[in-house]
Amino acid sequence: MRRVSMLLVMMMLTLNACAFSRGTLGDEIKTETVNLIKKGVTTRAEVLALLGAPDRLLQLNGRDLFQYYRYDAKVGSLLLIVANFSRVSIKSDDLFVVIAREGTVEEVIASKRTEGLEFRFWPFGD
Amino acid sequence: MTSWSRSLTLLFSLVLAAALSGCNVARLTINTPLTSDSVAFITEGRTTLADVIATLGAPDSMTDAEAGTLVTYRFLDAKYSRVNFGWLLKPWSPVDPDLVFSRSGLGTDAFELLCDNNWIVTHQAFVRHRPAPPFTPYPF
Repeated sequence: MRRVSMLLVMMMLTLNACAFSRGTLGDEIKTETVNLIKKGVTTRAEVLALLGAPDRLLQLNGRDLFQYYRYDAKVGSLLLIVANFSRVSIKSDDLFVVIAREGTVEEVIASKRTEGLEFRFWPFGD
Repeated sequence: MTSWSRSLTLLFSLVLAAALSGCNVARLTINTPLTSDSVAFITEGRTTLADVIATLGAPDSMTDAEAGTLVTYRFLDAKYSRVNFGWLLKPWSPVDPDLVFSRSGLGTDAFELLCDNNWIVTHQAFVRHRPAPPFTPYPF
């Protein structure tokens, strides 16, 4: 108990400041919206109506590839008198929609990597 | 504990605190770093892109290639450490001295897959895959 108290006192004496920051780029890609896109059924115009213009438009062996992305960055800093620790974690959500030559969706590739993104300040370990 | 050993302990603590002052450790992680183990499930000629996405999530980019589609996963694990030994002289110096050792590494790692027209992985490779860098402020 005494050691814990000592540790707490030491922390209070050495803790200078904490900082939490967050930045995002792009609109959120909602899972419900992505689920509305059906392979072989949904057309190019319907994809554009659901998601808007893509962030990137590429050609893939004669097919159109719409890419939508969103980035999320979380920064945690622990500023002690004797040392500063900080960690920046960035993850992205990406959605790829492959449009076949006939104009309907051929493939939908999506995942939400930002869901598990946490504020971390400890730079060591994983 | 005698007053002499108490003073020595206090002095040692002060020197240690002064030596550690100006010490910064930072880390930047973009996406989840991939390793050989995390992509070991991919068998060229058998694994489909859907299998890869189910395990690793959506890639960061897909581009057209002569032999099919090039799928790229990008990730970064950068470490930065800095020690300012000039802080040791602060109590005795009229100016604010700096003697800074710092080191960092920056460079995006990538894992690339080549898929044929049926979305089957035909080739896979890491691009510029480096071992995890340590936190070492010594720049020499």
